[in-house]
Amino acid sequence: MKRNRWMSASLVLALTVSLLAACSGNGGNGGEVNSGGNGKTETESSSGGKKTEVIKLKMWGGVPVEAGPQAVVDAWNAEHPDIQVEYERFVNDDAGNMKLDTALTTGQGADLFVNYAMPRLKQRIDAGQALDLSEFADYNIDEQMGRDASQWKVDGKYYGMPTTRGISFMWLNKDMLDAAGLPIPPADWTWADLREYAKKLKTDATWGLLRHEAIFMNPFNSVLESVGVTRADGTSNLDHPLLKEGFSTWHDMMFADKSTPTYGEQMTSKMPVDTMFLKGESAMLDAGGFIFRNANNLTDNPRTFKIAFATTPRMSADQQGAKAAGGLGDVLSINAKSANKEAAWQFLKWYADGGMLPMAAGGRIPASKSVNGDEAAALLLKGVEDKYDIDSLKKVVFGQFETFVESLPQQVVDIRKAEYEKYLLQQAELDASLAEMAEKHNEFLKQQP
Amino acid sequence: MSGWRKKERLWGLLFIGPNLLGVTLFFILPALFSFGLLFTDYRFANPDMNFVGLGNLKRLFHDELFYLALKNTALFLASVPVSIGLAFLVALALNKSVYLRSLLRAMFFMPYITSGIAIAFVWMLLFQPSKGPINQLLRAVGIENPPGWFSTTDTSMLAIDIIWIWFMLGYFMIIYLAALQELNSELLEAAKIDGARGWVTVRRIIWPLVSPTTFLLLVTGLIMSIKTFGIIQAITQGGPGNSTTIVSLYVYRTAFSYYEMGYASAISWVLFAIILFITLIQWFGQKKWVHY
Repeated sequence: MKRNRWMSASLVLALTVSLLAACSGNGGNGGEVNSGGNGKTETESSSGGKKTEVIKLKMWGGVPVEAGPQAVVDAWNAEHPDIQVEYERFVNDDAGNMKLDTALTTGQGADLFVNYAMPRLKQRIDAGQALDLSEFADYNIDEQMGRDASQWKVDGKYYGMPTTRGISFMWLNKDMLDAAGLPIPPADWTWADLREYAKKLKTDATWGLLRHEAIFMNPFNSVLESVGVTRADGTSNLDHPLLKEGFSTWHDMMFADKSTPTYGEQMTSKMPVDTMFLKGESAMLDAGGFIFRNANNLTDNPRTFKIAFATTPRMSADQQGAKAAGGLGDVLSINAKSANKEAAWQFLKWYADGGMLPMAAGGRIPASKSVNGDEAAALLLKGVEDKYDIDSLKKVVFGQFETFVESLPQQVVDIRKAEYEKYLLQQAELDASLAEMAEKHNEFLKQQP
Repeated sequence: MSGWRKKERLWGLLFIGPNLLGVTLFFILPALFSFGLLFTDYRFANPDMNFVGLGNLKRLFHDELFYLALKNTALFLASVPVSIGLAFLVALALNKSVYLRSLLRAMFFMPYITSGIAIAFVWMLLFQPSKGPINQLLRAVGIENPPGWFSTTDTSMLAIDIIWIWFMLGYFMIIYLAALQELNSELLEAAKIDGARGWVTVRRIIWPLVSPTTFLLLVTGLIMSIKTFGIIQAITQGGPGNSTTIVSLYVYRTAFSYYEMGYASAISWVLFAIILFITLIQWFGQKKWVHY
């Protein structure tokens, strides 16, 4: 009997231990296994029977392979029989990035990889995974990509090359604007103007404004870029008056004007804002270039109306030197431990200077000055030229703006979200939410080494 | 030891070998590894790692979000006894001859074998505050302001609890059904002869007789629930306003979103201590109510 009790007690212990392991061992959701080695295979060349080495490279990116990357690597592979590139897609979320980081850490064949956010790039630099590109002297990133490229420098060096240009902007249903007698708003409009537009454009059947979840915080981040994430004394600036104004305007659009869906409604129904806009259920959509993939697909999203574009409004006229969220992106790095850095660099230059053009059809506009902007525009608009207001498209989508790269750590993003959610769900007063936000941010700042 | 016994023992080892190997490689070693990480500031993939002693634990005890997560976990675990109670009643009903018994049994068990993500999406639709069927129904029966479910911090955990009760019910019910089939019919007959009827039989005879099962379900149910986070991650990602962030989800977020492996290890070991504590309490408390 006694022995039995011991057995059961140890069983309980084993149960609890395995629970813990299940919690912690949930990592690299099945890392991809690659033939690996040094990434080279030997083949008989048809001519002389001499052996030539074919270098194999693997590029990891977040764009679905059929939305451009396959066409890109096919074009390269046809031109370069000695360097063959394979594309591996990872989903750009926590789990997907973990998969990439696991592959990088364990040397499972990722020679090139795309970074979509500054904190992730920094992490990879700290982990010694991203190659310092200054070892290659034959390419001037600043010159090719323009002034804004330097926002991707870390400690004065490039550990990845930004390849795309794109800001977040407003999509407008031109037909609805015309019907309401509203002009396309000027580049320096404000959230107060936006609120007026939304109010006038709203009808019983259509929203005035829809906002895409991915860019909810862009105007707020733009304010932080203008006023600083922290004050001069090093404390949090998340409760800045301009941010307060922004949250309060957005709140009032939901609850007073009812010109935009409430936060709770949008979140709980996972509102497909892009298809709603393309169906004509909203006059405006706050989003970015990533909508082109759907907007150009007239089979799945048929529409008769024309789309025009406007910049994302400033929070208020008080926001000095407002910059557009976005700028350069899709930062392509070379794995510091890759066996074929030189070949990867060849590919990287080719990719940035035009090789990536097939991805323009999906809204990824090349940043390099070696790429003819008209060519990218033509690709983007192929077959749908008459569905856009070309003038505002050129001014906004292909326009030149001062931009910034969002670089708040994920922890701060989460702290901010947890608090503004309570306000937008009408469960806390704005002042209390902002105070809480700032306090938690300060705690976070204290923890940082 | 006789040769026969030795041989039998060898076979036994061979049979459990593969499983033991798997558990060692994928559970025990990582668990020990995470115990080591507990004392470091290791960030995933970053080779620059320092020994910080009990620093992570100190930080944890001042971490407001951790306390909130603990509270949320307690609220979440409240669903387990409720689900067990309901499962007992359902099992009682389905143990008798009712119409469509097999079909009903299968229906109650379905959720347990359905993909968590599918469940998450269906329930999200059901709970949708303005157009979801649940609130439509509530409005139809005259409740003017039905709960906001996932759109308020006060009701989001309640909604998660309802989903979890429904999800676990099938599993609990099957185990109870097995226990009910095993009941000694002589005892029931004796009770009947002594004049016990209906509810009295259930409360005085059947419930005590299945108490070992109840105990088993309580222990395994709590352990299973405490480590769950997938369904919550799929529906609310811990929101709104962290109202559904339970400790296991906080571990996940710290480890796989923030990459703070040292701190995440600290949280999971504290969670382990809590589970062990709860289980031991149940273990020693069982003498009072479990009848073998």
